[in-house]
Amino acid sequence: MSDAIGPGAIGPDGIGSGAIRPDGIRKERALAVVLPVATAIVLLVVWQAATRIWSIQPVILPAPTDVLHQLAIAWPDLLRESVYTGVESFAACALSAVLGGGVAAMLASSPLLRDILYPNLVAFQLIPKIALAPLFVIWLGIDAPSRLTFSVFISFFPVAIGTLTGLLDTNPNVIRLCRSLTATRSQIFRQVQVPYALPFFFSGLKVAATLSVIGIIIGEFISSKRGIGSYILLAGSRAETARIFAALLVLCVIGLAQYGVIAYLETRVRKAWRG
Amino acid sequence: MAGVSFSVRRGEFVAILGPSGCGKSTLLMMCGGLESISRGTITIDGAPVTGPRTTTGIMFQESTLLPWKTVLDNVMFPIGILQRPRKDYLPRARQLLSLVGLDGFESHKPHQLSGGMRQRAAICRALVYDPDILLMDEPFSALDAITRDEMNDALLDIWDRYTKTALFVTHSIREAVYLADRVLVMHRRPATVVADIRVPLPRPRDPSVGETAVFNELCGELRGMIEHSHRAARPAAAHV
Repeated sequence: MSDAIGPGAIGPDGIGSGAIRPDGIRKERALAVVLPVATAIVLLVVWQAATRIWSIQPVILPAPTDVLHQLAIAWPDLLRESVYTGVESFAACALSAVLGGGVAAMLASSPLLRDILYPNLVAFQLIPKIALAPLFVIWLGIDAPSRLTFSVFISFFPVAIGTLTGLLDTNPNVIRLCRSLTATRSQIFRQVQVPYALPFFFSGLKVAATLSVIGIIIGEFISSKRGIGSYILLAGSRAETARIFAALLVLCVIGLAQYGVIAYLETRVRKAWRG
Repeated sequence: MAGVSFSVRRGEFVAILGPSGCGKSTLLMMCGGLESISRGTITIDGAPVTGPRTTTGIMFQESTLLPWKTVLDNVMFPIGILQRPRKDYLPRARQLLSLVGLDGFESHKPHQLSGGMRQRAAICRALVYDPDILLMDEPFSALDAITRDEMNDALLDIWDRYTKTALFVTHSIREAVYLADRVLVMHRRPATVVADIRVPLPRPRDPSVGETAVFNELCGELRGMIEHSHRAARPAAAHV
Protein backbone atom coordinates (compact mmCIF):
# COMPACT_ATOMS: atom_id res chain seq x y z
CA MET A 1 0.00 0.00 0.00
CA SER A 2 2.54 2.55 1.14
CA ASP A 3 4.64 2.46 -2.03
CA ALA A 4 1.73 3.42 -4.25
CA ILE A 5 2.29 7.08 -3.47
CA GLY A 6 5.32 9.06 -2.43
CA PRO A 7 8.37 10.37 -4.22
CA GLY A 8 8.78 7.16 -6.24
CA ALA A 9 5.66 7.99 -8.20
CA ILE A 10 7.28 11.00 -9.81
CA GLY A 11 10.92 9.96 -10.04
CA PRO A 12 12.82 10.33 -13.31
CA ASP A 13 12.44 6.62 -13.98
CA GLY A 14 9.79 4.15 -12.97
CA ILE A 15 6.89 6.41 -13.79
CA GLY A 16 3.22 5.77 -14.01
CA SER A 17 0.87 3.06 -12.99
CA GLY A 18 2.89 0.29 -14.66
CA ALA A 19 5.80 0.84 -12.32
CA ILE A 20 3.69 0.70 -9.21
CA ARG A 21 3.14 -2.87 -8.03
CA PRO A 22 2.71 -4.70 -11.31
CA ASP A 23 1.74 -7.87 -9.43
CA GLY A 24 -1.20 -6.27 -7.70
CA ILE A 25 -2.47 -4.75 -10.92
CA ARG A 26 -2.14 -8.01 -12.82
CA LYS A 27 -4.08 -9.77 -10.08
CA GLU A 28 -6.75 -7.09 -10.18
CA ARG A 29 -7.06 -7.39 -13.97
CA ALA A 30 -7.32 -11.18 -13.80
CA LEU A 31 -10.00 -10.86 -11.16
CA ALA A 32 -11.89 -8.42 -13.39
CA VAL A 33 -12.14 -11.18 -16.01
CA VAL A 34 -12.63 -14.17 -13.72
CA LEU A 35 -15.42 -12.71 -11.60
CA PRO A 36 -17.97 -11.92 -14.34
CA VAL A 37 -17.22 -15.16 -16.20
CA ALA A 38 -17.64 -17.22 -13.04
CA THR A 39 -20.91 -15.43 -12.27
CA ALA A 40 -22.22 -16.18 -15.76
CA ILE A 41 -21.26 -19.84 -15.47
CA VAL A 42 -22.98 -20.16 -12.09
CA LEU A 43 -26.14 -18.59 -13.53
CA LEU A 44 -26.10 -20.98 -16.49
CA VAL A 45 -25.67 -23.97 -14.21
CA VAL A 46 -28.57 -22.82 -12.01
CA TRP A 47 -30.69 -22.25 -15.13
CA GLN A 48 -29.88 -25.73 -16.45
CA ALA A 49 -30.57 -27.35 -13.08
CA ALA A 50 -33.84 -25.45 -12.67
CA THR A 51 -35.22 -26.59 -16.01
CA ARG A 52 -34.32 -30.18 -15.17
CA ILE A 53 -35.39 -30.22 -11.52
CA TRP A 54 -38.81 -28.65 -12.11
CA SER A 55 -39.03 -30.16 -15.63
CA ILE A 56 -39.92 -26.78 -17.14
CA GLN A 57 -41.30 -27.14 -20.65
CA PRO A 58 -38.77 -26.08 -23.30
CA VAL A 59 -41.38 -23.82 -24.91
CA ILE A 60 -41.56 -21.80 -21.68
CA LEU A 61 -37.87 -21.85 -20.82
CA PRO A 62 -35.43 -24.01 -22.77
CA ALA A 63 -32.34 -25.24 -20.95
CA PRO A 64 -29.01 -23.70 -21.97
CA THR A 65 -28.10 -27.01 -23.61
CA ASP A 66 -31.29 -26.84 -25.73
CA VAL A 67 -30.27 -23.35 -26.85
CA LEU A 68 -26.79 -24.58 -27.76
CA HIS A 69 -28.34 -27.50 -29.65
CA GLN A 70 -30.57 -25.09 -31.58
CA LEU A 71 -27.58 -22.87 -32.27
CA ALA A 72 -25.72 -25.86 -33.72
CA ILE A 73 -28.62 -26.63 -36.05
CA ALA A 74 -29.60 -23.11 -37.06
CA TRP A 75 -26.24 -21.40 -37.24
CA PRO A 76 -26.13 -20.99 -41.05
CA ASP A 77 -29.49 -19.16 -40.95
CA LEU A 78 -28.48 -17.15 -37.92
CA LEU A 79 -25.18 -16.22 -39.49
CA ARG A 80 -26.90 -15.00 -42.64
CA GLU A 81 -29.44 -12.95 -40.70
CA SER A 82 -26.86 -11.58 -38.29
CA VAL A 83 -24.87 -10.15 -41.18
CA TYR A 84 -27.89 -7.99 -42.14
CA THR A 85 -28.45 -6.85 -38.58
CA GLY A 86 -24.76 -6.47 -37.77
CA VAL A 87 -23.91 -4.40 -40.83
CA GLU A 88 -26.89 -2.13 -40.31
CA SER A 89 -26.26 -1.57 -36.64
CA PHE A 90 -22.56 -0.88 -37.24
CA ALA A 91 -23.54 1.58 -39.94
CA ALA A 92 -26.08 3.21 -37.63
CA CYS A 93 -23.48 3.49 -34.90
CA ALA A 94 -20.94 5.04 -37.27
CA LEU A 95 -23.54 7.49 -38.57
CA SER A 96 -24.43 8.38 -34.97
CA ALA A 97 -20.78 9.11 -34.29
CA VAL A 98 -20.60 11.45 -37.27
CA LEU A 99 -23.98 13.08 -36.70
CA GLY A 100 -23.58 13.32 -32.92
CA GLY A 101 -20.07 14.75 -33.26
CA GLY A 102 -21.25 17.15 -35.95
CA VAL A 103 -24.24 18.41 -33.98
CA ALA A 104 -22.03 18.86 -30.91
CA ALA A 105 -19.42 20.79 -32.90
CA MET A 106 -22.14 22.99 -34.35
CA LEU A 107 -23.74 23.70 -30.98
CA ALA A 108 -20.37 24.30 -29.34
CA SER A 109 -19.40 26.83 -31.96
CA SER A 110 -22.31 29.17 -31.41
CA PRO A 111 -24.00 30.12 -28.14
CA LEU A 112 -26.91 31.48 -30.18
CA LEU A 113 -27.40 28.19 -31.98
CA ARG A 114 -27.13 26.44 -28.63
CA ASP A 115 -29.89 28.60 -27.17
CA ILE A 116 -32.08 27.97 -30.20
CA LEU A 117 -31.55 24.23 -30.59
CA TYR A 118 -30.42 22.67 -27.35
CA PRO A 119 -33.67 22.85 -25.34
CA ASN A 120 -35.60 21.64 -28.36
CA LEU A 121 -33.19 18.79 -28.89
CA VAL A 122 -33.65 17.71 -25.29
CA ALA A 123 -37.45 18.07 -25.46
CA PHE A 124 -37.46 16.04 -28.64
CA GLN A 125 -35.50 13.31 -26.93
CA LEU A 126 -38.14 13.06 -24.20
CA ILE A 127 -40.58 11.53 -26.68
CA PRO A 128 -40.52 7.74 -26.28
CA LYS A 129 -38.78 7.25 -29.59
CA ILE A 130 -39.86 3.68 -30.09
CA ALA A 131 -43.38 5.02 -30.56
CA LEU A 132 -42.12 6.92 -33.60
CA ALA A 133 -40.85 3.85 -35.45
CA PRO A 134 -44.02 3.45 -37.58
CA LEU A 135 -43.59 7.06 -38.75
CA PHE A 136 -40.25 6.22 -40.25
CA VAL A 137 -41.87 3.37 -42.15
CA ILE A 138 -44.43 5.80 -43.56
CA TRP A 139 -41.75 8.32 -44.50
CA LEU A 140 -38.96 6.08 -45.71
CA GLY A 141 -40.50 2.73 -46.53
CA ILE A 142 -39.61 -0.66 -45.18
CA ASP A 143 -36.00 -1.01 -46.29
CA ALA A 144 -32.60 -0.33 -44.81
CA PRO A 145 -32.80 3.51 -45.04
CA SER A 146 -35.85 3.50 -42.80
CA ARG A 147 -34.24 1.24 -40.20
CA LEU A 148 -30.94 3.11 -40.33
CA THR A 149 -32.62 6.48 -39.90
CA PHE A 150 -34.64 5.25 -36.96
CA SER A 151 -31.61 3.67 -35.33
CA VAL A 152 -29.45 6.77 -35.82
CA PHE A 153 -32.31 8.88 -34.55
CA ILE A 154 -32.32 7.08 -31.22
CA SER A 155 -28.57 6.57 -30.86
CA PHE A 156 -26.95 9.86 -31.87
CA PHE A 157 -28.26 11.77 -28.87
CA PRO A 158 -25.82 10.47 -26.22
CA VAL A 159 -22.93 11.12 -28.61
CA ALA A 160 -24.10 14.67 -29.22
CA ILE A 161 -24.65 15.45 -25.55
CA GLY A 162 -21.41 13.79 -24.43
CA THR A 163 -19.30 15.51 -27.05
CA LEU A 164 -20.94 18.88 -26.42
CA THR A 165 -20.21 18.56 -22.71
CA GLY A 166 -16.58 17.82 -23.52
CA LEU A 167 -16.23 20.66 -25.99
CA LEU A 168 -17.71 23.17 -23.55
CA ASP A 169 -15.89 21.75 -20.55
CA THR A 170 -12.48 22.86 -21.81
CA ASN A 171 -10.59 24.75 -19.12
CA PRO A 172 -11.38 28.45 -19.71
CA ASN A 173 -7.83 29.44 -18.84
CA VAL A 174 -6.50 27.20 -21.60
CA ILE A 175 -8.80 29.06 -23.98
CA ARG A 176 -7.47 32.33 -22.54
CA LEU A 177 -3.94 31.13 -23.08
CA CYS A 178 -4.75 30.34 -26.71
CA ARG A 179 -6.39 33.72 -27.20
CA SER A 180 -3.35 35.43 -25.71
CA LEU A 181 -1.36 33.69 -28.44
CA THR A 182 -3.79 35.11 -31.02
CA ALA A 183 -5.03 31.60 -31.83
CA THR A 184 -7.85 31.39 -34.34
CA ARG A 185 -11.13 29.77 -33.37
CA SER A 186 -10.38 26.84 -35.59
CA GLN A 187 -6.98 26.38 -33.94
CA ILE A 188 -8.58 26.41 -30.51
CA PHE A 189 -11.25 24.00 -31.69
CA ARG A 190 -8.91 21.50 -33.33
CA GLN A 191 -5.95 21.67 -30.99
CA VAL A 192 -7.66 22.09 -27.64
CA GLN A 193 -11.41 21.50 -27.59
CA VAL A 194 -11.51 18.37 -29.73
CA PRO A 195 -8.81 16.52 -27.79
CA TYR A 196 -10.53 17.57 -24.55
CA ALA A 197 -13.86 16.22 -25.83
CA LEU A 198 -12.59 12.88 -27.15
CA PRO A 199 -13.09 10.87 -23.94
CA PHE A 200 -16.61 12.35 -23.63
CA PHE A 201 -17.31 11.46 -27.26
CA PHE A 202 -16.35 7.87 -26.62
CA SER A 203 -18.48 7.44 -23.55
CA GLY A 204 -21.41 8.76 -25.57
CA LEU A 205 -20.56 6.39 -28.39
CA LYS A 206 -20.56 3.41 -26.04
CA VAL A 207 -24.15 4.19 -25.13
CA ALA A 208 -24.93 4.70 -28.82
CA ALA A 209 -23.50 1.25 -29.59
CA THR A 210 -26.17 -0.47 -27.51
CA LEU A 211 -28.93 1.85 -28.72
CA SER A 212 -28.10 1.34 -32.39
CA VAL A 213 -28.64 -2.45 -32.09
CA ILE A 214 -31.96 -1.78 -30.38
CA GLY A 215 -32.93 0.62 -33.17
CA ILE A 216 -32.17 -1.87 -35.93
CA ILE A 217 -34.00 -4.71 -34.16
CA ILE A 218 -37.09 -2.58 -33.67
CA GLY A 219 -36.92 -1.63 -37.33
CA GLU A 220 -36.74 -5.29 -38.26
CA PHE A 221 -39.65 -6.12 -35.96
CA ILE A 222 -41.78 -3.61 -37.76
CA SER A 223 -40.86 -3.93 -41.36
CA SER A 224 -38.15 -6.33 -42.37
CA LYS A 225 -38.23 -9.81 -43.82
CA ARG A 226 -34.55 -10.15 -42.95
CA GLY A 227 -32.25 -9.82 -40.00
CA ILE A 228 -32.24 -11.17 -36.45
CA GLY A 229 -35.28 -9.09 -35.52
CA SER A 230 -37.52 -10.72 -38.08
CA TYR A 231 -35.95 -14.10 -37.27
CA ILE A 232 -37.00 -13.67 -33.64
CA LEU A 233 -40.51 -12.63 -34.68
CA LEU A 234 -40.83 -15.68 -36.89
CA ALA A 235 -39.51 -18.03 -34.22
CA GLY A 236 -41.88 -16.42 -31.74
CA SER A 237 -44.89 -16.96 -33.97
CA ARG A 238 -43.96 -20.66 -34.11
CA ALA A 239 -43.29 -20.84 -30.36
CA GLU A 240 -39.71 -21.96 -31.04
CA THR A 241 -38.39 -20.60 -27.80
CA ALA A 242 -34.92 -22.19 -28.01
CA ARG A 243 -34.48 -20.55 -31.38
CA ILE A 244 -35.32 -17.12 -29.91
CA PHE A 245 -32.69 -17.65 -27.26
CA ALA A 246 -30.15 -18.71 -29.89
CA ALA A 247 -30.91 -15.50 -31.81
CA LEU A 248 -30.54 -13.47 -28.61
CA LEU A 249 -27.12 -15.01 -28.13
CA VAL A 250 -26.16 -13.87 -31.64
CA LEU A 251 -27.44 -10.37 -30.82
CA CYS A 252 -25.24 -10.34 -27.75
CA VAL A 253 -22.25 -11.15 -29.94
CA ILE A 254 -23.11 -8.32 -32.35
CA GLY A 255 -23.51 -5.87 -29.48
CA LEU A 256 -20.28 -7.02 -27.86
CA ALA A 257 -18.36 -6.77 -31.14
CA GLN A 258 -19.61 -3.23 -31.62
CA TYR A 259 -18.82 -2.27 -28.06
CA GLY A 260 -15.43 -3.93 -28.39
CA VAL A 261 -14.47 -1.92 -31.46
CA ILE A 262 -15.40 1.31 -29.70
CA ALA A 263 -13.66 0.32 -26.48
CA TYR A 264 -10.54 -0.50 -28.50
CA LEU A 265 -10.59 2.87 -30.26
CA GLU A 266 -11.17 4.53 -26.92
CA THR A 267 -8.15 2.89 -25.30
CA ARG A 268 -6.05 4.08 -28.22
CA VAL A 269 -7.28 7.60 -27.68
CA ARG A 270 -6.87 7.40 -23.92
CA LYS A 271 -3.35 6.15 -24.39
CA ALA A 272 -2.54 9.14 -26.56
CA TRP A 273 -4.16 11.23 -23.87
CA ARG A 274 -2.51 9.90 -20.76
CA GLY A 275 0.52 8.06 -22.15
CA MET B 1 -12.25 49.61 -11.77
CA ALA B 2 -11.46 53.29 -11.40
CA GLY B 3 -8.51 55.55 -10.95
CA VAL B 4 -5.94 52.91 -11.71
CA SER B 5 -2.89 54.56 -13.10
CA PHE B 6 0.64 53.28 -13.13
CA SER B 7 3.47 52.71 -15.52
CA VAL B 8 5.98 49.91 -15.69
CA ARG B 9 9.51 50.28 -17.03
CA ARG B 10 10.94 47.72 -19.42
CA GLY B 11 12.56 44.88 -17.50
CA GLU B 12 10.87 45.80 -14.26
CA PHE B 13 9.27 43.20 -11.99
CA VAL B 14 6.02 44.58 -10.58
CA ALA B 15 3.84 42.74 -8.11
CA ILE B 16 0.16 43.59 -7.83
CA LEU B 17 -0.94 42.88 -4.29
CA GLY B 18 -4.45 42.89 -2.95
CA PRO B 19 -7.26 40.90 -1.36
CA SER B 20 -9.19 38.48 -3.52
CA GLY B 21 -11.96 40.08 -5.53
CA CYS B 22 -10.19 43.43 -5.81
CA GLY B 23 -9.91 43.19 -9.58
CA LYS B 24 -6.19 42.50 -9.77
CA SER B 25 -6.66 39.52 -12.08
CA THR B 26 -8.99 41.55 -14.29
CA LEU B 27 -6.35 44.27 -14.47
CA LEU B 28 -3.78 41.67 -15.51
CA MET B 29 -6.07 40.22 -18.18
CA MET B 30 -6.66 43.76 -19.49
CA CYS B 31 -2.89 44.16 -19.85
CA GLY B 32 -2.89 40.93 -21.85
CA GLY B 33 -5.68 42.19 -24.08
CA LEU B 34 -7.97 39.44 -22.83
CA GLU B 35 -10.52 41.65 -21.07
CA SER B 36 -12.08 44.65 -22.69
CA ILE B 37 -11.23 47.97 -21.14
CA SER B 38 -14.34 50.03 -20.47
CA ARG B 39 -12.61 53.36 -19.91
CA GLY B 40 -9.05 54.52 -20.13
CA THR B 41 -6.14 52.97 -21.97
CA ILE B 42 -3.25 50.62 -21.48
CA THR B 43 -0.27 51.29 -23.67
CA ILE B 44 2.72 49.07 -24.29
CA ASP B 45 5.66 50.71 -26.03
CA GLY B 46 3.39 53.63 -26.83
CA ALA B 47 0.74 51.54 -28.59
CA PRO B 48 -2.65 51.02 -26.92
CA VAL B 49 -3.63 47.46 -26.08
CA THR B 50 -6.68 46.55 -28.13
CA GLY B 51 -6.37 42.77 -28.13
CA PRO B 52 -3.95 39.94 -27.45
CA ARG B 53 -0.35 40.48 -28.49
CA THR B 54 2.06 37.70 -29.32
CA THR B 55 4.74 39.37 -27.23
CA THR B 56 2.94 38.63 -23.98
CA GLY B 57 3.53 35.47 -21.99
CA ILE B 58 0.89 34.36 -19.52
CA MET B 59 0.67 32.10 -16.46
CA PHE B 60 -2.35 31.12 -14.39
CA GLN B 61 -2.98 29.74 -10.94
CA GLU B 62 -3.21 26.24 -12.37
CA SER B 63 -0.64 25.13 -14.89
CA THR B 64 -3.25 24.65 -17.67
CA LEU B 65 -0.95 22.13 -19.32
CA LEU B 66 -2.76 20.00 -21.90
CA PRO B 67 -3.12 16.54 -20.32
CA TRP B 68 -2.65 14.64 -23.59
CA LYS B 69 0.64 16.31 -24.49
CA THR B 70 4.09 15.58 -23.11
CA VAL B 71 5.93 18.21 -21.11
CA LEU B 72 8.05 19.16 -24.12
CA ASP B 73 5.03 19.35 -26.43
CA ASN B 74 3.23 21.46 -23.87
CA VAL B 75 6.15 23.86 -23.72
CA MET B 76 6.19 23.92 -27.54
CA PHE B 77 2.41 24.45 -27.73
CA PRO B 78 2.62 28.24 -28.32
CA ILE B 79 5.04 27.66 -31.20
CA GLY B 80 2.43 25.49 -32.93
CA ILE B 81 -0.32 28.07 -32.38
CA LEU B 82 1.93 30.87 -33.65
CA GLN B 83 2.86 28.63 -36.61
CA ARG B 84 6.55 29.24 -36.15
CA PRO B 85 9.10 26.62 -37.24
CA ARG B 86 9.32 24.03 -34.48
CA LYS B 87 12.98 23.25 -34.98
CA ASP B 88 13.98 26.87 -34.35
CA TYR B 89 12.47 26.74 -30.87
CA LEU B 90 13.22 23.19 -29.72
CA PRO B 91 16.67 24.04 -28.34
CA ARG B 92 15.21 26.98 -26.44
CA ALA B 93 12.43 24.80 -25.02
CA ARG B 94 14.94 22.21 -23.80
CA GLN B 95 17.18 24.93 -22.38
CA LEU B 96 14.27 26.44 -20.45
CA LEU B 97 13.23 23.02 -19.14
CA SER B 98 16.72 22.31 -17.92
CA LEU B 99 16.92 25.76 -16.32
CA VAL B 100 13.86 24.97 -14.18
CA GLY B 101 15.20 21.49 -13.37
CA LEU B 102 12.88 19.51 -15.60
CA ASP B 103 15.51 17.87 -17.80
CA GLY B 104 14.69 14.19 -18.06
CA PHE B 105 10.97 14.92 -17.86
CA GLU B 106 10.47 16.08 -21.46
CA SER B 107 8.40 13.07 -22.46
CA HIS B 108 6.35 12.83 -19.27
CA LYS B 109 2.68 13.68 -19.21
CA PRO B 110 1.44 16.40 -16.84
CA HIS B 111 -0.36 13.93 -14.57
CA GLN B 112 2.99 12.32 -13.81
CA LEU B 113 4.36 15.57 -12.39
CA SER B 114 3.85 17.27 -9.05
CA GLY B 115 2.04 20.62 -8.87
CA GLY B 116 5.31 22.53 -8.61
CA MET B 117 6.81 20.73 -11.60
CA ARG B 118 3.71 21.50 -13.65
CA GLN B 119 4.06 25.20 -12.86
CA ARG B 120 7.74 25.03 -13.81
CA ALA B 121 6.69 23.64 -17.19
CA ALA B 122 4.11 26.42 -17.44
CA ILE B 123 6.87 29.02 -16.90
CA CYS B 124 8.80 27.44 -19.77
CA ARG B 125 5.70 27.50 -21.97
CA ALA B 126 5.15 31.19 -21.21
CA LEU B 127 8.73 32.04 -22.19
CA VAL B 128 9.40 29.73 -25.13
CA TYR B 129 8.32 32.22 -27.79
CA ASP B 130 10.40 34.97 -26.19
CA PRO B 131 7.68 37.41 -25.13
CA ASP B 132 8.81 40.71 -23.67
CA ILE B 133 6.13 40.87 -21.00
CA LEU B 134 5.26 38.09 -18.59
CA LEU B 135 1.81 38.21 -16.95
CA MET B 136 1.37 35.94 -13.95
CA ASP B 137 -1.96 35.49 -12.22
CA GLU B 138 -1.27 34.05 -8.75
CA PRO B 139 0.82 31.34 -10.39
CA PHE B 140 1.99 29.73 -7.16
CA SER B 141 -0.98 30.24 -4.87
CA ALA B 142 -2.22 26.66 -5.25
CA LEU B 143 1.11 25.22 -4.14
CA ASP B 144 2.22 24.30 -0.64
CA ALA B 145 4.42 26.81 1.20
CA ILE B 146 7.71 24.95 0.66
CA THR B 147 7.13 24.39 -3.05
CA ARG B 148 6.02 27.98 -3.35
CA ASP B 149 9.33 29.24 -1.95
CA GLU B 150 11.19 26.98 -4.39
CA MET B 151 9.11 28.30 -7.25
CA ASN B 152 9.84 31.88 -6.28
CA ASP B 153 13.56 31.14 -6.46
CA ALA B 154 13.15 29.31 -9.77
CA LEU B 155 11.24 32.29 -11.15
CA LEU B 156 13.91 34.74 -9.97
CA ASP B 157 16.60 32.57 -11.57
CA ILE B 158 14.78 32.65 -14.88
CA TRP B 159 14.02 36.32 -14.59
CA ASP B 160 17.68 37.10 -13.90
CA ARG B 161 18.65 35.28 -17.07
CA TYR B 162 15.95 36.47 -19.45
CA THR B 163 15.07 39.83 -18.00
CA LYS B 164 11.43 40.37 -18.92
CA THR B 165 8.96 42.95 -17.85
CA ALA B 166 6.89 41.06 -15.33
CA LEU B 167 3.49 41.70 -13.81
CA PHE B 168 2.84 39.32 -10.94
CA VAL B 169 -0.54 39.17 -9.24
CA THR B 170 -0.52 37.75 -5.72
CA HIS B 171 -2.22 38.01 -2.36
CA SER B 172 0.91 37.01 -0.50
CA ILE B 173 2.76 40.02 0.93
CA ARG B 174 6.04 38.17 1.42
CA GLU B 175 5.94 36.77 -2.09
CA ALA B 176 5.35 40.22 -3.55
CA VAL B 177 8.23 41.77 -1.62
CA TYR B 178 10.58 38.88 -2.30
CA LEU B 179 10.05 38.92 -6.06
CA ALA B 180 9.31 42.46 -7.11
CA ASP B 181 11.04 45.75 -7.76
CA ARG B 182 7.79 47.52 -7.04
CA VAL B 183 4.61 46.49 -5.27
CA LEU B 184 1.27 48.00 -6.27
CA VAL B 185 -1.33 47.66 -3.51
CA MET B 186 -4.88 47.31 -4.76
CA HIS B 187 -8.03 48.14 -2.91
CA ARG B 188 -11.47 46.63 -3.26
CA ARG B 189 -14.63 48.55 -4.23
CA PRO B 190 -13.73 50.63 -6.06
CA ALA B 191 -10.87 48.62 -7.48
CA THR B 192 -8.01 51.02 -7.42
CA VAL B 193 -4.30 51.20 -6.73
CA VAL B 194 -3.80 52.75 -3.30
CA ALA B 195 -0.02 52.56 -3.06
CA ASP B 196 3.02 52.11 -5.24
CA ILE B 197 5.93 50.94 -3.10
CA ARG B 198 9.50 50.50 -4.28
CA VAL B 199 11.30 47.45 -2.87
CA PRO B 200 14.81 48.58 -1.90
CA LEU B 201 16.30 45.08 -1.74
CA PRO B 202 19.37 44.30 -3.84
CA ARG B 203 19.39 41.55 -6.48
CA PRO B 204 20.11 38.72 -6.87
CA ARG B 205 17.93 37.78 -3.92
CA ASP B 206 18.00 34.55 -2.00
CA PRO B 207 15.89 33.25 0.89
CA SER B 208 18.13 34.97 3.48
CA VAL B 209 16.60 38.27 2.32
CA GLY B 210 13.44 37.19 4.10
CA GLU B 211 15.20 37.59 7.48
CA THR B 212 16.46 41.13 6.93
CA ALA B 213 14.93 44.04 8.79
CA VAL B 214 14.22 45.96 5.57
CA PHE B 215 12.22 43.03 4.19
CA ASN B 216 10.16 42.56 7.31
CA GLU B 217 9.52 46.26 7.86
CA LEU B 218 8.28 46.55 4.30
CA CYS B 219 6.02 43.53 4.78
CA GLY B 220 4.62 45.09 7.95
CA GLU B 221 3.99 48.37 6.19
CA LEU B 222 2.16 46.63 3.34
CA ARG B 223 0.11 44.54 5.74
CA GLY B 224 -0.95 47.73 7.51
CA MET B 225 -2.08 49.25 4.21
CA ILE B 226 -4.09 46.22 3.19
CA GLU B 227 -5.78 45.92 6.58
CA HIS B 228 -6.55 49.61 6.61
CA SER B 229 -8.14 49.54 3.16
CA HIS B 230 -9.98 46.37 4.11
CA ARG B 231 -11.48 47.97 7.20
CA ALA B 232 -12.43 51.10 5.30
CA ALA B 233 -14.23 49.06 2.68
CA ARG B 234 -16.51 47.33 5.17
CA PRO B 235 -19.50 48.78 6.98
CA ALA B 236 -18.92 49.21 10.71
CA ALA B 237 -21.63 46.71 11.60
CA ALA B 238 -19.52 43.91 10.21
CA HIS B 239 -17.18 44.23 13.20
CA VAL B 240 -19.83 43.68 15.87
